[in-house]
Amino acid sequence: MVDLVEYAIRGIPTGCVYALLAVGLVLTYKTSGVFNLAYGAQAFASASVFYVVRKDHEWPLWAAAILAIVIVGPAIGLVLERFLFRYLRGSPPMAKLVTSLGLLIAIPEVVRLLLGSGSRKNPPPLWWVRRTDEWLWPQGSSVVLDAGQIATIVSTIVVVIALVFLFARTQIGLKMRAVVESARMAELYGVNSERTSMTAWALSSLLAGLAGVLVAPLFASLNPLDLFTLLVAALAATVFGGLTSIPLTFAGGIALGVLQAVMAGALPTDSVFATGLRPGLPFIVLFALLMFRPGLRTSGELQDPLAGVDPPPPSPVTQDQPKWLTRGSRALMILLLLVACWISISVLDAFWLGLVVSGVCLSVILLSITVATGLGGMLSLCPAAFAAIGAFATAQLVEATGMTVIGAMIIAGLVSATAGAALALPVVRLGAVYLALATLAFALMFESILVPLSWVSGGSVPLSVPRPLIGSIDMADDRWFLLFAATCLGLIAWVVVRLREGTMGRFLQALYTSRDAAESIGVSATRPRVMAFAVSAGIAGFGGGLLASYAGQANYQASFVYLVGLVWVALVVSTGARSVLAAIISGMVFFLLPAGLERLFSWPENWLEAHPDASGPVASLLEVITPSWAVPVAFILFGAGAIMYARHPEGSLQSQMSALGRAVNRRIDPGGEPPDPADDLDRESSADLVGPS
Amino acid sequence: MKKVGIVLVTTAFLALVGCGNSSGDTTAEDEGKEGSKSEEFAAVDAPGVTDTEIRVEGIASITNPVGIAADTAGDGVDAYFEMVNSEGGVHGRDLVLSDVHDDQLANNSAVAKGVVDADSAFAVLPIATLLFTGADQLVDAGIPTFGWTINPEWEGSEDNPKPNLFGQSGSFLCLGCATPGPTYTAQLGDRSKIGLLGYNVPQSTQCLESWRASFDRWGGESDIEVVFEDGSLTYGTTDLSVQVQKMADAGADMAMTCMDNNAAVTLAKEMKKQGLDAIQFLPQAYDHELMGEFGDLFEDSYVMISFAPLETPEDSKPEGLENYEEWMEKTDGEITENSMVGWLNADLFVTGLREAGPDFSRQSVTDAINSLDDYRAEGMLPGVNWKERGHTARSNPDCNSYMLIKDGEFELVSSKGVFTCFDPEADTLEASYE
Repeated sequence: MVDLVEYAIRGIPTGCVYALLAVGLVLTYKTSGVFNLAYGAQAFASASVFYVVRKDHEWPLWAAAILAIVIVGPAIGLVLERFLFRYLRGSPPMAKLVTSLGLLIAIPEVVRLLLGSGSRKNPPPLWWVRRTDEWLWPQGSSVVLDAGQIATIVSTIVVVIALVFLFARTQIGLKMRAVVESARMAELYGVNSERTSMTAWALSSLLAGLAGVLVAPLFASLNPLDLFTLLVAALAATVFGGLTSIPLTFAGGIALGVLQAVMAGALPTDSVFATGLRPGLPFIVLFALLMFRPGLRTSGELQDPLAGVDPPPPSPVTQDQPKWLTRGSRALMILLLLVACWISISVLDAFWLGLVVSGVCLSVILLSITVATGLGGMLSLCPAAFAAIGAFATAQLVEATGMTVIGAMIIAGLVSATAGAALALPVVRLGAVYLALATLAFALMFESILVPLSWVSGGSVPLSVPRPLIGSIDMADDRWFLLFAATCLGLIAWVVVRLREGTMGRFLQALYTSRDAAESIGVSATRPRVMAFAVSAGIAGFGGGLLASYAGQANYQASFVYLVGLVWVALVVSTGARSVLAAIISGMVFFLLPAGLERLFSWPENWLEAHPDASGPVASLLEVITPSWAVPVAFILFGAGAIMYARHPEGSLQSQMSALGRAVNRRIDPGGEPPDPADDLDRESSADLVGPS
Repeated sequence: MKKVGIVLVTTAFLALVGCGNSSGDTTAEDEGKEGSKSEEFAAVDAPGVTDTEIRVEGIASITNPVGIAADTAGDGVDAYFEMVNSEGGVHGRDLVLSDVHDDQLANNSAVAKGVVDADSAFAVLPIATLLFTGADQLVDAGIPTFGWTINPEWEGSEDNPKPNLFGQSGSFLCLGCATPGPTYTAQLGDRSKIGLLGYNVPQSTQCLESWRASFDRWGGESDIEVVFEDGSLTYGTTDLSVQVQKMADAGADMAMTCMDNNAAVTLAKEMKKQGLDAIQFLPQAYDHELMGEFGDLFEDSYVMISFAPLETPEDSKPEGLENYEEWMEKTDGEITENSMVGWLNADLFVTGLREAGPDFSRQSVTDAINSLDDYRAEGMLPGVNWKERGHTARSNPDCNSYMLIKDGEFELVSSKGVFTCFDPEADTLEASYE
C-alpha cells in the first residue's frame, strides 16, 4: 500500500504535464470553438524560439522567456485568428478541425525553414540552471523533484486557478464564452466579438508557448513529434473535462499521470496487462471516455443558438450542366488518365515510375477517405491503421495459406471492413470532434498495442508480400504492376461513384445536410454511416495490401504510421473530400510533389556550379535555395491546402471545377435563367469523377 | 449495386482461380564483361566507369518530417575518395561520388529503383538511410552496395545471401543473439544487478532478448543477474521514476536500455534524482555532441562501437584512423559516427576494386570482397571475414571497442588493444585483444 501511494505521488509531475497541455486545448476550444490539433505545433514554435535565443544567442532568461512566450506565442495566435479562424467562426466543427490539422503539418516545417533544422540537443529550462536536474528538491527525500518539474507543477496550478477565475469572475472570460457560443448574440449586447476573439487566441497561444518552453527540457532534443505525442497522450484529460471544464481537465491530467505510474509500479512487468495495456493506456482511456463518459454523446458541440434563424447552409456545389457536357467531361477525364498511364509506362524512368505506382496504390487507400469523410461526413483519422490492417492481413494470408496475393488482398479488405464496422458501431453516434478523436485513439491503440506483436506485424523484419501473377503476366515488372494497380483503382473508383449516387449515398447526403430532417422521414442515422465506415475501412485495407504488394513488404514504419495518415486526410479533404478525382490527385501529389520540389530546388545549386563566376544579388539569392527545402515546402503546401479548407470546404478541386462549369454554362446559355429545381430529376449530376450534385 | 456485386464476384473469381504470386525473381545483371587493354590501363565496360573516372552514387535520409538526418556519411566517402585520388586514383581513374540521393524517408525503394534504372553508377555508397526498403532492387541488380547497417534488410540468409550488400563491419545483425558486450561491461564496472529497459517495439524487444541471453549465458560466472526488466515503455516516454524506484528496490547497480538516447538521458536524470548509484551501458551513444551536453550524467558508463574510436591513443592509433582525421579536416567534413561509416564504406569499396584488378566489373568487385577473410580497413576494424561470415553469420570472434565515460569524455577501456574480442560460441568470456 505504501508503495502504491509512492507510485501515485510519482505520477503527479507527469500528470501536471498532461494537465498543462490539456488545459491549453480546452481553453482554445472553450474560447474559440476550435479543437486545436496544432496546439503542440504552436508549443514547438515557441520552444524553438526560446532555444535559439537562450542557448544559441545566450540571451538572459527573462528576455528569452518574454520573447518566446509573451511575444511569439500570442503573435502566432493573433495571426491564426486574424487570417484563418475569424472566417471559420460559424463553420461546422469539422472545418475547424481540418484547418487545425493543416496547421499541425505546416507550422513545424515553417519553423524549420526559418530557424534551421539542425538537432537541438538539451533544450534549456525555464529556470536559472543549465539543465533541469541541476536543482533538486527536497534533497534526501524519497520523492525528489527537479527544477523542470517544480516549474511545471507551479505553472499548471497557477494557470488552472487563473483560468477558473478568468471564466468565473471576469468580464472578459464571460465575453469569450459568449462570443464562442454566438458572436452575433454577443454583439447584440455590445460585445466587440473580434477583439474578444483575438484576446482569446492570444491567451490560448500564450499558454501553448508556456507549455512548449516548460515541456521541451523533458526531452534530450527538441522535436515537434515528441511534443505532439505528449499532446495526444493528454487528449484523455481534455475529454475527461468534457472539452469545457478546466478543473475537471486538470483532474483528468493528474489522474492519467497517477494511473500510468501506479500501473507501471503495480503490474508485474512480464504480465499481459503490462506489455499489452500499459503502452496504450492514454489512448485506451481516451477511447473509453469517448464511449462511456456520461453526457458526452448528448452534449453536442458548440453551436450558435442563432443558427436557427440563418438560411439553410448551401448544399454542396452543384454543376448543373447538360448531359452531353457531363458525359464529355467524364470521357475526357478517363482519356487523360489513360494518357497519363501510357506516358508513365513509356516515358518515365524507374524512379518516377516507382513514385507513380506508389501514388496509384495510395490513391486506392485515399478513396477510403472519400467514402468516410466525403460521403459519410465523418472525419476519420485512422485511414493508415485500416491500410496497415489490410497490409498485414495480406502478408499473413499469403504466408500462412499460400493463397494468391490478389485473393489475399480481397480477404484483407473484408477483414479491414469488419474491423471498421466494429469501430463504427460505437463511434458514429458521436459528434464530429469526438468521432475524430475516437478514430485517432483507435489508430494510436493499434500502433501501440497491436503493431508490436510479431503475429500481427511480423516483428522487426517486415512481412514480405509478393507481387501478383495473372496467367503468364508477372507483375514483378513495375509497368505491369502500374496497369494492375490502375485497374484496381478504376474499379474501386467506379464502386465509390456508384455508392455516392446510390441509395446509401443519398441517405448519407441527407444525413449530412440535415440529420433531423433525414431522421424525420425515416432515414436511419446509424446504419448508412456504419456501412460507409465499413466500406471505407475495406477500401483502405485492400489499398494497404496493394501498396504492400508493390513495396514487397508490409512495412508499418515505412508506410502506415498514424501521423502519415493525418497528412493523407488533410490532403484529400483539402482537395475535395467527395471527389474521386481529388483522392487520385492527392495520392499522386503525396509521392510526386516532394520529389519534384527536390529537383526544382536543385536547379539553383546546379546553376551556380555551372557558373562559378556568378555574383551579385541573384547569385546570393540562389545560394540560399537548397534541395533540403523540398520536404518542408511540400509539407507546408500539404498543410496550406487544409488551411484553405476554410475558404473552400468543398475542396480546391471541386471549387475550380465548379467555376469552370459555371463558365461553360454561361457560354452555352449567356442569358439563361437559373435552372428550375424541378428539372434536376431530368438532368444528370456533375461529372461523376469530380463530385456529386 | 447489382453491377458492383458482379464486378466484385468476377474479381474475386479471377483472384482465387486464375492468379498466382510472382516469384519476384529478376535476372541479376551479368557484369563479367572483359574490357580490352589500352596502353595505360584496361578499358572497362561497366556502368559509371569511363577512361578517367569511376562514378558511384549514394542514398541518404537527409530531409524528412522526423527531423533525423543521416547526411554526413557522404562526407566520409568524399574525404576517402579525395585521399585516394591524391595518390592517383584506382586503376588510373579518379573516384567520384557523383550524387547522394535524398530518399526523404518514404521514397527509399523508388530512389533505389531510379539508381538501378539509370545505371550510371558503378556502385552505390553510402547507403545511410533510416529505412532500407529498396534493398531488394539493389540485390537483384547485383550492384555493389555499401552502407550503414542498421536495418534488417542488410542481412542475408542461406536462401538469399545478398552477396553484394556490404555493411561497414559485416552485414549480419544477428538481432536477438547473445552478445558478450553487456556481460563484459558489467564485469568491467564490477556490477552484478542489472535493470533492463526497452520500448514495446519489435526491434527493442529483440535487443532485450539479446541482452538477457548474454547474462543467461555468461552472467553466472560473475554472479550477474537481471533484477528488473520492463520492455513495455512507449516511445517518447518522459517519466521513468517508477522504473527507477523499482530498480533501486531491487538493488540494481547497472541499467541497460534498448531505447534511443532521449530515453537514456531521461533515465540518467531520474537515477540522479533518486540517488541510484547505477551506471549505464550505452551502445548507441558514441556521440560527442551528446556527451558535451549530458556527459556528467553518464559518468563511469560504458559505450561500445564496432570500429576504432577517435580516442585511440596516439601510439596505437591505426593508420586508417589517422587518415580519416587528416582527410576529414582537409575536406571540411564533419567528424561523426555517420561520416566514419561512410569512410569505412569507401575503404571497403576501394579494397574490392583493387583486389578485382584492372579488368574489374561489378561482379568481380563483389567477388573480390567476398573472398576477403580478414578485412581490417587499415586497422579501423577488428577483422571482418567476408568470405565465410560477413553476410549470413555473426562475426567470430566478436570484437568491439569499449569505452568508459569520464568527465564527459570517452576513454578507451583496454590498454592492450583497440578491440576486445570474445568467442560468442564459448561458455565463458575470455577476452583477447587486437
